[in-house]
Amino acid sequence: MIEIKDLTVKYTSLKEEYTALKNINLVVPTGGTCALIGPSGCGKSTLLKVMAGIIKDYQGSVEFDGAELNPAQQKIGFIPQNYGLLPWRNVVQNICIAAKLKQDKAVTKDDLAKIIHLLGLDGLDKRYPGELSGGQQQRVSLARAFLLKPDVLLMDEPFSALDAITREEMQDVFLSLWNKYTVSTVLVTHYVEEAIYLGQKIVILSANPGQVAKVIDNPLFGETDIRHRKEFFEMSLELRDLLKQGGKS
Amino acid sequence: MKEIRYIWYAGAVFAIFILWSMTAALVELPIVPSPVRVLETLGFIFKDSIAIHGLYSLWRIIAGLFLAIVVGLPIGVAMGYFSRIDRILAPLVYLTYPVPKIALLPILMLLLGVGEAAKILMIFLIIVFQVIIAVRDGIRAIPKETYYPLYSLGAPFQAVFFEILWPAALPKFITAIRVAMATAISVLFFTETFGTQYGMGYFIMDAWLRVNYLEMYAGIVVLSLLGLLLFGLIDCLEKHFCHWQYR
Repeated sequence: MIEIKDLTVKYTSLKEEYTALKNINLVVPTGGTCALIGPSGCGKSTLLKVMAGIIKDYQGSVEFDGAELNPAQQKIGFIPQNYGLLPWRNVVQNICIAAKLKQDKAVTKDDLAKIIHLLGLDGLDKRYPGELSGGQQQRVSLARAFLLKPDVLLMDEPFSALDAITREEMQDVFLSLWNKYTVSTVLVTHYVEEAIYLGQKIVILSANPGQVAKVIDNPLFGETDIRHRKEFFEMSLELRDLLKQGGKS
Repeated sequence: MKEIRYIWYAGAVFAIFILWSMTAALVELPIVPSPVRVLETLGFIFKDSIAIHGLYSLWRIIAGLFLAIVVGLPIGVAMGYFSRIDRILAPLVYLTYPVPKIALLPILMLLLGVGEAAKILMIFLIIVFQVIIAVRDGIRAIPKETYYPLYSLGAPFQAVFFEILWPAALPKFITAIRVAMATAISVLFFTETFGTQYGMGYFIMDAWLRVNYLEMYAGIVVLSLLGLLLFGLIDCLEKHFCHWQYR
């Protein structure tokens, strides 16, 4: 379970103090997914970076399964916007880096082969990120995150750089992995459809300062083939209206 | 692919040879001897005299280079990664970098004597600044997002260094060495004209003073080959360690 209590993040630039996030309270149950959506500048990425242990200067508390956030002890899988692959490491090295850093002996060659196969990366082992398409890079970053069997998975607009077809394909790849490994997941997105498709819980943030405007329990999550259903469109429109009003309804 | 590269090297040698022969035939002066005669002389004296001078020069360059790497690399990494260290050290580097190092030669010689130390330190001073600045800028150019997955794994600095800083800085570092190498060889030549009986600089100047132009040219050819050897070595290292760049 991910539990965020009264989280406030302030940036201090030379001239002024800027509140990026104010009094955020959020609970994501174990094995659940949560989609963060909101206008640009609402602090969605900041919230994710706090959870990833990248921003350390915050007030309030962030707990994973009752223990205060500590990247050195917990297994946090983080997928940044540009996938965060190391250009000087090949596909296998990139996938293994998380397990290597955690000195995770439980991860075997078998697991590696399995995840490579599951993500359709067979035969690309020795390639470098620069030789892969955007979709393939995304698959490598998913493989890296899932190989570690993380306690929490955080994804920052993971599919936004992909074309529409590849994006939907990758969303399905993600869901199948998530179903297999059931990892508590928080993802940031600016696509309403993506939020509905991937978020069990949809959290709408408002900007200036970033606050939780609304939390929606998504009734459509987990049902098959929802993309073509009427309810999906209706909910998309509803969410869009909410976002236009800055999350306040 | 490899064979083609060697063909180009052979072509370069051939072109220089032709140009040189033509100049020699045109001016007909002892100061521009024909390359055939120079190469003959080189073959004749290489084992007995030039080889030892070449080895001395090579040792000084490699020692200076090694020192510059040992000192410059950590400073460059620290300045690139920790902005606070950069703020303190950058003014110092900027103030001392533009000083022509050769102008410091008399001081170094007074302080360290005319022996090996002053010569090696000279090479070191020329290379080290380029290494510091190239490595620092190389590390600064790494996008922040590259670090994020490692930070979120709670990676210690050591892991960040080996997984990100070192591989990212390496190509910049090799370029810096390549750029600095030519200057280092020229300055080495100059320093070797003082207080030593060994080194290519000494050999060439000595031949010149003895008005033995053939030996002088043989020395110049060896110096050029020394450069070729060093550049070739750097190219090989880059191909080996930075091959991801060429994919």
